[in-house]
Amino acid sequence: MNALNIAFKDIQIFLKDRGALFQLFLLPLVFIVAFSAVAASFEAEEQDQRIPLHVVDLDGGREAQTFLVGLDEAGGVKVELIAADGAMQKLEDNEIPRLLTIPQDFTEGISEGRTVTLRLVSHPDASLEKTEAVRLVIEGVAQDMALEYQILASLQQMGEMQANAPEDYQEAFAVEKIVAQAQSQFAQSQERPLVTIEQTIPGQESEVEELPSTAEVAVPGFTVLFVFLTAQSTARSIYDEKKVGSFRRLLSAPISKVSLLAGKVLPNFITALIQTAIIFLFGAYGLRLMGFTPVKLGSDPVALTLAVLSIALCSSALGVVIAALARTENQIGGLSTLILWGLGTLGGSIVPYFILENMLGPIPMALPHYWANKALDDIMVRGMMLGDVSLSLIVLLGFTLAFFLVGLWRFDFD
Amino acid sequence: MPAILEVDHLVKKYGDFEAVKGISFEVEAGEVFGLLGPNGAGKTQTISMLTGVIEPTSGSARVGGYDIHSDMDKAKRINGLVPQDLALYPTLSARANLNFFGRIYGLGGKDLKERVEDVLRIVALTERADEAVEHYSGGMKRRVNIAAGLLHHPKLLFLDEPTVGVDPQSRNHIFESVMRLNRERGMSIVYTSHYMEEVELLCNRVAIIDQGEIIALDTIKNLIALLGGGVIHVGLERVDDDLLTELSNLKGVKSAELTTQPVPPPPSEEDDVETIEREPASTNPVVKVVAEHSQTAVVNVISYLNEKDITLTSLEILEPNLESVFLHLTGKKLRE
Repeated sequence: MNALNIAFKDIQIFLKDRGALFQLFLLPLVFIVAFSAVAASFEAEEQDQRIPLHVVDLDGGREAQTFLVGLDEAGGVKVELIAADGAMQKLEDNEIPRLLTIPQDFTEGISEGRTVTLRLVSHPDASLEKTEAVRLVIEGVAQDMALEYQILASLQQMGEMQANAPEDYQEAFAVEKIVAQAQSQFAQSQERPLVTIEQTIPGQESEVEELPSTAEVAVPGFTVLFVFLTAQSTARSIYDEKKVGSFRRLLSAPISKVSLLAGKVLPNFITALIQTAIIFLFGAYGLRLMGFTPVKLGSDPVALTLAVLSIALCSSALGVVIAALARTENQIGGLSTLILWGLGTLGGSIVPYFILENMLGPIPMALPHYWANKALDDIMVRGMMLGDVSLSLIVLLGFTLAFFLVGLWRFDFD
Repeated sequence: MPAILEVDHLVKKYGDFEAVKGISFEVEAGEVFGLLGPNGAGKTQTISMLTGVIEPTSGSARVGGYDIHSDMDKAKRINGLVPQDLALYPTLSARANLNFFGRIYGLGGKDLKERVEDVLRIVALTERADEAVEHYSGGMKRRVNIAAGLLHHPKLLFLDEPTVGVDPQSRNHIFESVMRLNRERGMSIVYTSHYMEEVELLCNRVAIIDQGEIIALDTIKNLIALLGGGVIHVGLERVDDDLLTELSNLKGVKSAELTTQPVPPPPSEEDDVETIEREPASTNPVVKVVAEHSQTAVVNVISYLNEKDITLTSLEILEPNLESVFLHLTGKKLRE
């Protein structure tokens, strides 16, 4: 009961603090809108530009040149020639999204009427739609080129035959015959293309997963970041209570230390839940009203609720740790910045965790933010169910327990 | 009178530092008991142990018969603490603060409302009770601070330096409140201060505490009697044992001894120490003369020194009060 009294009093104080209200409830929405707006402007800018296609030309011959000019003139694709050395490495490092390789025997093969194969490789994170668009352009140019070559070759052959044929056989080269021949060549080019495309995506055997939208990344990420930022409020509230001396007064009252700490942690927990609800509602409905793509809240409300409760609890426990470790207001500010923003950045709240995994390896997995982001991402973006995210929730609760124990161990009641 | 507080060899250590060195005293029911000592003497640490804010390192105490180790929860319901800090929530109103502290003691409903009104009346803040505390003057905040300690009707109230930083009007109001609570409600009070005049005004008995130890404990009258007729500090060019013996034998002089402390610096405007006369500080030896009658002793000492042609470098006559007692016992002023 006393814990509730303390929590109620802290909420009363909190509601009078406009700065804190702005930071906890409005700032996340500002971040999400700003993030979505910037991303939308980049996307709009990208739409005006041709899709970059990096090409390694191992052939360098006449037909390869013709093919490259054809690609460039086809529109939609911007050809950029790069050296063969290190080209694959650039693709693996995601420096280039896709790479087209023209084989060494391209010109020779075309000239001889053999089928040659172009190789198109794309990075797993490259946009599927753009890769498909690039493939269609390549295919179109290759097909046109092959058709043109085959028809020209057959007409040349017909011309030579006509020149050498006796008078009596001239009717064999009548216009109707030549047209029929050309039509036959066209049909053949369709059935037996001179140029084929082999398309691969390294390290990915199955279908490429569609990347989440900006809002789908921003809403769970900033939810986790700002829910954990409420830990700072817990630490500051405890510090303020000690600073003004009311903590001593509470200690002199018939109230247990556990109730006292619970009372200080509870407002953080409630705040985190309200904060999450506001961000989710804004993500689902507010973004749509502002013209951005809204987020989905997944298909398992129980899993989502448990994930939010686990994250809020973990944040509250982290607040006790910060309050226990920091002795001054400056230390609270410093520790909070270091721990909360640092963990948020490394744990995938700002840069998506699936990208950080590629950059930092297993390091993010040691942070609670990673598991919080993963849980929300799995539920909201990937539509996973409670059973699928149970590991993330268990790890989060483990962090919570560890934070509470460390906080209680280091907490200075004197 | 039965004792409402019994303190037995209470010790508080922080590592090697002993903040409270085994103090013992008793407070009788209905008594106003003073803990007088300079800042850092151990007063707040002592109160903190008795109210359950911190754990004693050793020793024991009983509050209203309840042991502070085994029955602290019951003891806490008898105790009331008015801490030295303004232990209030500045953005909340006085009424909201009091409601909260009342609920912490299990009060609620009509009872809580009545008690809040009652304590607001005691500290004369009913009319401004709904204003945020941060808009109050220092004295008004102190009064709310006291009110918060009265809500649960404690039998024993610890007032820890309750007048620090308040204006004279609020100080007088606090004194009146303390006297009324004691007189009309029979509340026992432990009053800590480093202002000797407050303790002299309010307390029946006083424990003088310095460096974690009680160096004297008695009624104010008896403590002052330690000084006899007063103390005179006599600065001289030279002192020897024969001179001290001669001075001790003069009429009106109880004893004369060389002090180990130099004469304190001249008083500032804020000093409350009442001196009849004071000369500039001297680096010459100073003899502390404890008088049976200060006027007779001064006349005789000066006559003797003139007769012996010994130059007087300074003279300070300390009026018999607790400040002088403290100086007499410790060789230093209360606010050093």
